[in-house]
Amino acid sequence: MKHFSEEELIAYQLHESQDERTISKHLESCSECADLSESIAETLRVFSADPVPQPDLEHSWQRLRSNLGVLTPERPRGFKLLRWGWAWPATGLATAALMLLTVFGLHVHRTVETRRNIAVNGHGPLTTEPTDPAIANHLDAAERLLTEVNNSSGTLDDATRQQAHNLLLQNAVYVHSARESGDLAQAAVLENFGRVLTTLDNEPPTPHSTWRLRLEMNTSGLLLDIRILRQNDDHAQGVSQ
Amino acid sequence: MSNRRMDKAETDAIRDVLAGDRDAYRVLMDRHFCSVTRVAFRITGNEADAEEATQEAFLRAYNKLPSFRRDSAFSTWIMRIAMNTAINLVERRKRDLSYHAPRIADEPSTADHTVRIADRQAGPEISLLNREAINLRQAAMAELTPMERTAFTLRHMEDVPMTEIAAALNITSNSAKQAVFRAVSKLRRSLTPIAGGLR
Repeated sequence: MKHFSEEELIAYQLHESQDERTISKHLESCSECADLSESIAETLRVFSADPVPQPDLEHSWQRLRSNLGVLTPERPRGFKLLRWGWAWPATGLATAALMLLTVFGLHVHRTVETRRNIAVNGHGPLTTEPTDPAIANHLDAAERLLTEVNNSSGTLDDATRQQAHNLLLQNAVYVHSARESGDLAQAAVLENFGRVLTTLDNEPPTPHSTWRLRLEMNTSGLLLDIRILRQNDDHAQGVSQ
Repeated sequence: MSNRRMDKAETDAIRDVLAGDRDAYRVLMDRHFCSVTRVAFRITGNEADAEEATQEAFLRAYNKLPSFRRDSAFSTWIMRIAMNTAINLVERRKRDLSYHAPRIADEPSTADHTVRIADRQAGPEISLLNREAINLRQAAMAELTPMERTAFTLRHMEDVPMTEIAAALNITSNSAKQAVFRAVSKLRRSLTPIAGGLR
């Protein structure tokens, strides 16, 4: 007698099998396969769907809304092709203009380069990307700490307070680096985070201090800013259509 | 999750968002927030991470809206983004051993990051059994890879067709099936200590 494998029986229980009728017939006469099949069915029953918490749409929308920038549609391809007709003359002119600008610009004044988009929570999306893996780890740790502050209701435990202390020491370095590199968005978010950390590090552990901290420092808004900064770090992995 | 084409309200909302009306995005969020949160919760396994993944998914979708191909449904697209975001989050949590997720305990303790699961209907014996079952199930699910967990929960708990899971995870249909089968096999073995496990 040919027995069915565990995989074939899992497929059968999930209604993914091509041989459903054959397997069903076999299970009537083979106790070994029937036991295995029942064991799989029991596993699926044990892991049946738990209720999902009701999400708060309004709250999420309000948090998201303040971080949405104004979008513009991508130009269709046809426009690109049309542009090629006058691309060469335009390129020539642009090159000449660039050379002029380079020659004069170098002598006129020196500007501090800043990276585009300095919007923080409430003013639009953050688009600057952290490239240093250490800052990515710092943002990750910052996010976890704020999540904990946001989700806890009583006093913060010693481990969390110690973590806040350690992050505070590191944060100053990252604020400085962000300013140096002209990444004002990151610097602004980290400065805000530094203020929360300072308060965390110095606040007496009273039952209401976490609540007060959350309200005063707008930790949920800061948390979203940090998530956006960290999300930029994930862009390398990409989410393709 | 469905393959239905977008209706006029969604198409109009996308057009308005791309024309600079940020508030029009609320229409898309109204329609897909619950399903995105459900999927995020199934993948991450807890409410706080599900909320975070949902926020990130909608933000990513918004920023990528100019490149959204309207020949596919927005629901499929946002779901794919949500799955990827949630999987990334689970992987980050797994990499980070210092992350303290809430754990189940008989007596909740802030210092230990433990919480108690409320049971509104049962006495102490059933309550104890419920807690043990929850612990066991959580431990078993934690043994799965993010891909296995996603494929299994979507197929078994959300009844999403295998082809849609495969498309969302950007893998072949056969790979999605294998991920589900592996998950069931692992879960069955993890239930060995109790009745209904491996026999």
